Amino acid sequence: MKFTKIIIAVILVMLLAAAVVFAGGEKETEPVEAKKIKAGFIYVGPIGDYGWSHAHDVGRKYVEGKFPWLETLLVESVPEADSARIIDRFIVEEKCDVVFTTSFGYMDDTVKAGEKYPDKLFMHCSGFKQSENVGTYFAELYQMYYLNGLMAGALTRSNKIGYVGAFPIPEVVRHINAFALGIKDANPDAKVHVRWIFSWYDPSKAKEAAEALVADGCDALAFTEDSPAVIEVGQEHTEKGKPVFTFGHYSPMQQFGVDSVVSGQLVDWGVMYEKILKDIYDGTWSNEDLWWLAAEDAALLGGSFEDKINPKFTDELKAVTVEVPDLGKINVYNLIMKRLDQMNQGTDVFDPFVGPISDNKGKVRIPSGVKASKGQLLSIDYYVDNIVGDVPK
Amino acid sequence: MKLRIRIDHRIDASPSLQVTVLLFSLLAGLFTVGMVFAASRVNPFLALWKIFSGSFGSLYGIKETITKAIPLILIGSGLALAFRARFWNIGAESQLLMGAICATWIGLNWGPRLPGPIIIPAMFLAGFLGGALWAMFPALLKVKFGINEVISTLMLNYVAAELLTLLIVGPWKGVTQQGFPYTDDFPASATLPLLYGSRIHYTTLIIAVFACVLLFMLIYSTKFGYELRVIGENIEAARYAGIDFMRNTVIMMLISGGMAGIAGVGEVAGIHHHLTYPQAISSGYGFTAIIVAWLAKLNPIAAIASGLFFAGILVGGDAIQISLGLPAATVQVFNGILLFFLIMGDFFLNNRVILSLERKE
Repeated sequence: MKFTKIIIAVILVMLLAAAVVFAGGEKETEPVEAKKIKAGFIYVGPIGDYGWSHAHDVGRKYVEGKFPWLETLLVESVPEADSARIIDRFIVEEKCDVVFTTSFGYMDDTVKAGEKYPDKLFMHCSGFKQSENVGTYFAELYQMYYLNGLMAGALTRSNKIGYVGAFPIPEVVRHINAFALGIKDANPDAKVHVRWIFSWYDPSKAKEAAEALVADGCDALAFTEDSPAVIEVGQEHTEKGKPVFTFGHYSPMQQFGVDSVVSGQLVDWGVMYEKILKDIYDGTWSNEDLWWLAAEDAALLGGSFEDKINPKFTDELKAVTVEVPDLGKINVYNLIMKRLDQMNQGTDVFDPFVGPISDNKGKVRIPSGVKASKGQLLSIDYYVDNIVGDVPK
Repeated sequence: MKLRIRIDHRIDASPSLQVTVLLFSLLAGLFTVGMVFAASRVNPFLALWKIFSGSFGSLYGIKETITKAIPLILIGSGLALAFRARFWNIGAESQLLMGAICATWIGLNWGPRLPGPIIIPAMFLAGFLGGALWAMFPALLKVKFGINEVISTLMLNYVAAELLTLLIVGPWKGVTQQGFPYTDDFPASATLPLLYGSRIHYTTLIIAVFACVLLFMLIYSTKFGYELRVIGENIEAARYAGIDFMRNTVIMMLISGGMAGIAGVGEVAGIHHHLTYPQAISSGYGFTAIIVAWLAKLNPIAAIASGLFFAGILVGGDAIQISLGLPAATVQVFNGILLFFLIMGDFFLNNRVILSLERKE
């Protein structure tokens, strides 16, 4: 019968094809050991900026040295408008497996890229939009700002403390508030004065703002700007005999003001990148929001990786005694070390954002005994009660 | 023996000489750029190859290059007009921002109520007017009070950037943007369609090419263009011939600024879909376009090619960062050096340099 012959022939061909496909499939799954991961990093600033992008690049170098199976690529100074182009280049031209986009402004392009390339992974730093293959991560430093505030409050003689802010966004406002809460716990009379420069990286504007604050009577300065400009102002005045205490931002900046820098916040993106890439390698990656603090070793205290507090100021800090509810009378140096230890254990042990916290209009924002939620911290838009002025609206 | 250098003004530069000088300037510029690469221990030929293969060597690269070229062509052809009249408009950056601001106002306020076919032309018109009005001030200051336009246009860049920042952190800050200094996203009717699979907002591209042709005709075949060229060649002769310096300068700057304003509309409505920091909106197009205009020899149609060329360098700049590890600033060095040599080429085109050895008696 002709018909049966055809059927048999068709079945035979299909079996043969299946065998080929099966064998081929087996072949493809074999070389698992030689698995490599290629990761692309997109930075918003120059990697030599001594701030945000520099810190990320230190983390990138750390993981590249750590994992033999990892290859990394980077592009610096990418305007937010151009991130889609660079993501495309990383995925299409360079065949990256994962792309890290390290600025808030890259958020929408990162999420769009996730839809466009469903079999690749994307990690967006500091954003709040996740999807199947888009995760978010952030190393949050507000705890260190609080500790810096304790120091500033103890050291100030004029009771006027300055802050040079980049943009009035929740992240920066949160840091100023944490700084002010620390100041308040060490010195209830001191007030914080803020100057905004509306730029992430602008040494000349930061310098101007710092000089304006000093001229206004401030003798301690903290800041958010990716250069050591504010520290150089502090060092200059200190050398001329008028001490101005400063706090490094993001990268080890003590070297730019050895007589002025008391401490600062440092970030370790390396530990975060290590976890993320290890998870991807092991296949255990998920898109959960990573929000790492002191307890996860992402946030560190110091103006350099060697000293938590510049030894020049240790004696002065030990000489100031304050009284706190849980510890009684204690000198500020010991208080800082104790609080740092508590923060390293977790926010349940100690957190600066525990009520009562009122804004500077007198409204209670966090009731007594309550700890601010992550959502509250992420959308904070008011000044606590020892900061002068209003958040620009 | 004494070396004498004599510089004579050259009146007649033949087209073939012009092309030769242009090519020679480009080659000398590329050679110098190559030396910079070599100094960073990178093979110059490899680096140049990477730049141009990164921008023109693949479909991806070509799409991105065209996207980047849109604002450069628009601004470059507008600047060509101004530079023809020897009016040094260094303020295209701010004219672009003002265009973006005006378009944003229309897009956010009228976008939700009007359909795309009405709102998009309205945004382009508003952007043109915004850029044009912003450019009119330095033009008026120059013709009325003799104020140097280099200073006034340059300084207005800062004013516009601060104004934009004021708007996005202040009254225009979007309620949906989580406290970040962006305006709300434009409604769909106020955004430009993209060429499939790319970021090319073709509406702006079509306007750009069309405008280049119009400007070319304006410069070479209208009385206005002729008068502008006379003003540029010799202002005294122009006055003597009864050419209205004031009227011509102001109209010329309205057009030049308006072109930059249109580029601003394309960026906000085609790429960002909201107004954000000045640096993000423009990434220096107003300055890069100065080189675009010079490379085009102040010819608006040639600006299409030179706009693509410099867009290619910007896009290829990513490639040399990724594959050769060169810093991002390399691209700016590249552009700066090329401009330097192009202007130097102009000097040799307009002047005859005669070297001679003189024997001392």
